Amino acid sequence: MFADARKRRGFIFPPYVFLLFPAVLFMLLIYAYPFISSVIRSFINKNGALSFDNYIKSWDLYLKDILFTFSITIFNTLASGTIAVLLSVYFRLHDSVISRFLINLYRLPIFIPFVVVAQMMNGFLAPHGLLNIALAQLKLIDLNNPLQLFNFIGLSFGFIWKLAPFTILIIYGGFQMIDNSYIEAARSSGARRLNLIIRILIPMNKPSIMVALVLIYSQIVGTFTLPYMLIGGKIPTTITVDIAHRVNYFMDFGVANALGVFSYILVFVTAIYYLKTKAREVK
Amino acid sequence: MKRAIFILLALAVITSGVFAGGQKEKGKIKLIYMTAGDVNMLALGQNVFAPQFQKKYPNISLVTIQTGAGNAGSQRIYEKILADSRSNKKEWDVDVAMVHQIFMKWAMEKNLLLKYAESLDTWKYVTSPFAKTSLGVNIEGYAMPMFHSQTALAYNPDYVKNPPKSYKELQEWVKKNPGKFGYNGIKGGMSGVSFTVGWVYAKTGKYKKYAVTGPFEKSEVASWESAFKDLKEFNKYVTFTAGNVGTLDALNRGEIWMGPVWVDMFFTFMNEGKLDPKTRLVLPTPGMPGQPMYFVIPRKAAHADAAKKFVEFATSPAIQAKDIVEKFNWYPGIDGSYLKDYVPKATYDKIYRDVTPKDLAEKGLAFPLADYFNAILESYEKWIK
Repeated sequence: MFADARKRRGFIFPPYVFLLFPAVLFMLLIYAYPFISSVIRSFINKNGALSFDNYIKSWDLYLKDILFTFSITIFNTLASGTIAVLLSVYFRLHDSVISRFLINLYRLPIFIPFVVVAQMMNGFLAPHGLLNIALAQLKLIDLNNPLQLFNFIGLSFGFIWKLAPFTILIIYGGFQMIDNSYIEAARSSGARRLNLIIRILIPMNKPSIMVALVLIYSQIVGTFTLPYMLIGGKIPTTITVDIAHRVNYFMDFGVANALGVFSYILVFVTAIYYLKTKAREVK
Repeated sequence: MKRAIFILLALAVITSGVFAGGQKEKGKIKLIYMTAGDVNMLALGQNVFAPQFQKKYPNISLVTIQTGAGNAGSQRIYEKILADSRSNKKEWDVDVAMVHQIFMKWAMEKNLLLKYAESLDTWKYVTSPFAKTSLGVNIEGYAMPMFHSQTALAYNPDYVKNPPKSYKELQEWVKKNPGKFGYNGIKGGMSGVSFTVGWVYAKTGKYKKYAVTGPFEKSEVASWESAFKDLKEFNKYVTFTAGNVGTLDALNRGEIWMGPVWVDMFFTFMNEGKLDPKTRLVLPTPGMPGQPMYFVIPRKAAHADAAKKFVEFATSPAIQAKDIVEKFNWYPGIDGSYLKDYVPKATYDKIYRDVTPKDLAEKGLAFPLADYFNAILESYEKWIK
């Protein structure tokens, strides 16, 4: 009888859909719900009414920080990506004691948490930190006028140190999938190394390079500890530091959520790209 | 990753069940003590208070839960007690808590606290004005101050022979010594916030109105433009440090010669050999803010009597002298004069050498009323960007 009813409506609900239920429910509860409610709450002002107040305040006070976050993110994504591609190519094309040693060594920062990296960078990059003292010993700088690195440069150094290895992991993996015969064929057709890299290796490995870039891009947008511990009190600083400031000092979740929405927008474009490539892979 | 989170969640559910069950265990009382603050507050509860307290009261065991540094830590506690109050439970989970000033405003508004302090034996030792009001809110009887922490300017006497005695002198000093004064802004920790608040007190001369009497007026906020423009100018000659600890580290490495610090952190760093023992303190006129942390007991705490015994124990002169002052380098929550018999003279002299009890009385200011406090922080962001 039920089967008839279903047939009449032309819709059959396959029972295995229920197997998806736990996973989907989990995603909805843990990811979708907080995400949607944070977007909604960003439009609710202190009096509980719908308004753009939080956005006006964010724009007014934190525009510089939003732009700063954006430039930090773009710069470090590209820098980490470039370094990762160069090193991955080196690992792929050269088999020597040095390259094997480096292959084993480069993974180390992946396992070090950001908060530890931040503390390390604090000691390393400080005006009288390890780096400046070493440079002063080499008579390259004067310790009374040391390099000031608690800024864009130092923050970028920290990000690249921590994220380039992760990028290499993905990109080098992609390069390893390319069969030697392609490389040999290119070489026997007379391709020089630069040509080989630009016209064979990188195009063949484009998907994994893009995925790696997308992943580190969104990581940089969301990182709190490193910017907080290196440039927390400076102007400009990153969105994440501002969010913590709004919540800790004002219990102002409205503006914090609005700032959150700005960071969602920053990652939105790349997230769509990531999902599209993933969907294409599945097909 | 997702699976790991799920397992963690499951574990949290299971352990909280065990935890709740354990509380009902007969005979022995489990006193739940939630503390805001950094890991040092956890160490204080777990390693210092618990063994001594349990020795004195063998049928009570103290469970310390630390919620995190700064106001955010107090906020966790507030959210927990607020949730308890909305659950319609007869007995709430938290028995006693250690909180910051802002917590008192939140909790008093929602009527979450027990009026208990006046019934303690140690209430008579409390003379601090901070025990009566907190950020303009009347809290008398609802809170016992456990300690008082103060901010001051630390300086390296090798380079700074005559430290500036006031904010005004400091303004001149940084122009002569550019880059040698360091602080952490307002987003990098409370020592920088405290310096900024002191700046506003100094520039406006309205400490009484902003921190004690009120009321909050928007016209006051508008009048700060020149004060913050001056601070913007001042900032040009200043090094920004990486947090409260960052200022102390930078002092120790000789990167800066002067900067605002928490006095207790200053002495703790010194005792641990992380700060040059030559470094000195000065409290500039008109003064800088400090803050107490308070013991509070939630209104329907399951073990209010045991909680009172605990607070009485922690505010007794012996514990205040030995642990609060000597071990953790705070100023006592109770009146310092009751401690003389308990603290070695050397300790007393060290702590009160640069910042004397007289300085503390005159220049140990309070943080402003919550509305002014928010307005000061936001004005900083508005004018200095």
